[in-house]
Amino acid sequence: MVMHKTQSHRRYLASSRFVRVLGTKRAMEKIVNDFVINVATANGTGSQSSNLIILHSMFEMGVPVSGKNLFPSNISGLPTWFIIRASDRGYQAPGDGTNIQILMNKDTWIKDLEGLEPGTIVIYNEDVKMPVERDDCVLLGMPMTKMARKINPKLGRLIANMYYVGAVAHLLGVEEDAIEKAVKAQFKGKEKAVELNIQAISEGREYANENWDFDCQFIVESRDKDPDTFLIEGNEAIALGSIYGGISMLSWYPITPSSSLAESVINWLPELRSDGDGGSTCAVIQAEDELAAAGMVLGAGWAGGRGMTCTSGPGISLMSEFIGLFYFSEVPGVIWDVNRVGPSTGLPTRTQQGDLSMLYEASHGDTQHIVLIPGTVDECFEFGWRVFDFAERFQTMVFGFNDLDLGMNRWKTSGFTYPDSPMDRGKVVRSQEEMDSIPEYGRYRDVDGDGIAYRTLPGSGLDPILYRGTGHDEDGVYSEDPQVYHDAMARLKRKIDGAREHLPAPVIREEEKKDLGVIFYGSMENSIVEIDDMLEESGLSVSTCRVRALPLHSGVEDFVRRHDRTIVLEINRDGQLFGIIRKEFPAELIPKIHSVSYSDGMPPRARVYSDMILEVLEGL
Amino acid sequence: MLKLNVLELEKSEYTGGKSSLCPGCGHDQISNNIIQAAWENGIPPEKVAKMSGIGCSSKTPAYFLGKSHGFNTVHGRMPSVTTGANLVNKGLSFLAVSGDGDTASIGIGQFVHAIRRNLDMVYIVENNGVYGLTKGQYSATVEKGSKKKKGVANQQAPIDLCAMAINLGCSFVARSFSGSKKQLTALIRAAMSHRGMAFIDVISPCVTFANNDESYKSYNYVKANDEVLHILDYISHFSPIEEVEVPEGEYQEVSLFDGSTLRLETLAADHDYTDAVSALSAIHQSEKAERHVTGLLYYDDNVPTATDTLGLSETPLVELSEDLLRPSPDSLEKVNSGFRS
Ligand SMILES: Cc1ncc(C[n+]2csc(CCOP(=O)(O)OP(=O)(O)O)c2C)c(N)n1
Ligand code: SF4
Ligand SMILES: [Mg+2]
Repeated sequence: MVMHKTQSHRRYLASSRFVRVLGTKRAMEKIVNDFVINVATANGTGSQSSNLIILHSMFEMGVPVSGKNLFPSNISGLPTWFIIRASDRGYQAPGDGTNIQILMNKDTWIKDLEGLEPGTIVIYNEDVKMPVERDDCVLLGMPMTKMARKINPKLGRLIANMYYVGAVAHLLGVEEDAIEKAVKAQFKGKEKAVELNIQAISEGREYANENWDFDCQFIVESRDKDPDTFLIEGNEAIALGSIYGGISMLSWYPITPSSSLAESVINWLPELRSDGDGGSTCAVIQAEDELAAAGMVLGAGWAGGRGMTCTSGPGISLMSEFIGLFYFSEVPGVIWDVNRVGPSTGLPTRTQQGDLSMLYEASHGDTQHIVLIPGTVDECFEFGWRVFDFAERFQTMVFGFNDLDLGMNRWKTSGFTYPDSPMDRGKVVRSQEEMDSIPEYGRYRDVDGDGIAYRTLPGSGLDPILYRGTGHDEDGVYSEDPQVYHDAMARLKRKIDGAREHLPAPVIREEEKKDLGVIFYGSMENSIVEIDDMLEESGLSVSTCRVRALPLHSGVEDFVRRHDRTIVLEINRDGQLFGIIRKEFPAELIPKIHSVSYSDGMPPRARVYSDMILEVLEGL
Repeated sequence: MLKLNVLELEKSEYTGGKSSLCPGCGHDQISNNIIQAAWENGIPPEKVAKMSGIGCSSKTPAYFLGKSHGFNTVHGRMPSVTTGANLVNKGLSFLAVSGDGDTASIGIGQFVHAIRRNLDMVYIVENNGVYGLTKGQYSATVEKGSKKKKGVANQQAPIDLCAMAINLGCSFVARSFSGSKKQLTALIRAAMSHRGMAFIDVISPCVTFANNDESYKSYNYVKANDEVLHILDYISHFSPIEEVEVPEGEYQEVSLFDGSTLRLETLAADHDYTDAVSALSAIHQSEKAERHVTGLLYYDDNVPTATDTLGLSETPLVELSEDLLRPSPDSLEKVNSGFRS
């Protein structure tokens, strides 16, 4: 998929950033739909609802917004930040700095305050009773807890958060209608809660209006909202995709940030996958650990079902031995990895692309796995169903690779598209006639020349074998013969190599002038437009290529060939995709490919990566 | 004339490949009993799924029921693979073998959870007290004081898999010995007639590493110390002919799921197979006396199986057509519009 960039996103650049708004008290330069709000709260205080209401109310107005939840590995008490970015240019990265800081948490108060740029607007809860010593900032206090206690003494702590929603709504000019819609969506069906929270937000708005003599330069302005759009987490999109992909067994063991994927499947099954007589057409089982979860997927795939599990890095480590068995015994299965920061327990609630090389070659011995890498929630849905077709077509375990940022934050879609092809159940022999039509059937005999042999299912009575992880010949019979082992491994290589051109091709946005190509993948999609703009500000002409699957499609190599220099951009320390490229691409291409890789647990900030790219280019 | 079973199949339809185990290995005797039991029960071979982990014992599915599909999985984690297969195809009869290393050490977690879910399967542990395949290290089921051919006597307390299974509420728990052909065949036949987890711990001497007289799982030791709970007769539902005449009142009958009966001619009058405490007491008393209690230890036909509790479609999931597996385009429109409102 090659797209000419000039048509695609240049118009963002053309739209002017500053709009003069006349008729206010003092005519001042207003900044429309272009700011970053940072909300500092403590985990478990209900602030997630308030933050989502801010996000959704702006979204209702058609303002392009994105939200990032930076939460701790804790149930209650530790600091949480929520970053909301509005950008008419569609930028979704967290942004360079903060324009409006909301302070609710006394534990991070001082540090949050110290880190602000002069001129930042600070909305703070006066009742926290912390010093606010930043004369160079705009300081706007409100007795949020006191006011909240007045409307409900018991829920005061929770409701206090709604007052900053009111404050923000006042400063930015968020419409009341939009707020109301967002509150209703947040507390679906809970009349009392809707009423209470709307009251708190209105009081916050009024207080700000009456007590703050400040004219905010940042404002929101309605845009034509496409009525089809909505926000959804990547994990839920994958869950829905898998349901439309005919998943018949989900095994899982809870781990952040993948749990919400499994829980979404569980939530949607009753509505979408009932057989009409009250029976479910998909089994869900909470496994005793990830070893068992992987084993169950293997068993389901072997028996002819569509098994899936989801986990994060630590779970993949435990599943490794089974992954080798999938590969070697050629059983279909699906494992989604929602990447968090490793190694070990690492930063369990932060994001990273640190598992890619592990997935590609998971398990011992020579292995190679298909990995699908969505970069948008639409692709989360699409790959969510397609992954089963790939698994059954290639008779192997296929990974879906997501990360916390795309998986657990909410992103825009215009609605999911129904699968455009029937389910591909792969080469399964289901009757004696079919069996008779295959010359010289053997479970592992490549009769079609594509490396994929035919299989039969237990219960069918057709050509049974004992599946095994030990060496086996083309008929599935135990063998330690050197030639037999070598040939089997060569065929497996051929089989997976053969998948390259069938897997999702890279998405390429290309310039006429082939100065610089940037190869990236996954959730970096949400920062790439801004990175690209920053690079072009320095006069470069930048094309981008988003990899969507491993093993790599030939389009990636062609992209490299067409460009003078290529950067492989990743959210990890060592440049894992770069490592794969360096190993697989022809030697003459390697000198013009460079790695830019950075990971600190934060969703990628455009400035960090664009600066690193410029630095690498300077050093060439 | 060759003898045929109820499906009019010869016994050879239930045999497998040639064994590569050490001549005399207890595991081979168990394989023979499995072949006998499956043939006598008239199980359709194509409906059986043979499952195993890794070990000498776990190799044996290659040596029986050659007409059945099977999976020789990874060390200790056969139960999870069986679970996945069972969830999508509850129409299969799962027949699993494992070793004491495979089950009581690396796989103990999966063993426990398979029981807890009452997975519908026959689970046979071929228990020799050692890791045969890695050349004779002690396993976790070896008794305190037992000594294998080489090395010192074991000093740690054993894990008794039957006691553990009973404590976990396993619906069918039995112990036997690879050398007790009649008892073992009857127990395997009964296990195949049961619905739910049927666990049989079969003492199976490793002739190469632990068949010396100081080994509590050696052939001679078990022969001399077998505390048989009852004489067993399996009466199948398709030929309910009483093969043995027993005076009324001196036997108990266990009705099995498929309509067959296991008749227990009571030797140990105080054992009550419906009572977990009685079963545990029998195990612990024989352990104290350094003996092996064998027979049907515990039975409960009132435990729901893994698939019973999940509210699944009546039809095995693998047989569902695409229109049931993939919701309609309309449903997706509804999902989308639900998010939009
Ligand atoms: C993950 C893993 N660790 C270790 C081994 C090596 N191994 C193979 S069989 C075995 C022990 C088997 O003992 P048991 O289950 O009692 O079977 P037996 O050979 O005694 O019948 C071990 C440790 C392995 N195959 N896989
Ligand atoms: S080593 Fe022991 S358990 Fe293994 S085959 Fe030989 S006798 Fe049997
Ligand atoms: Mg053993």
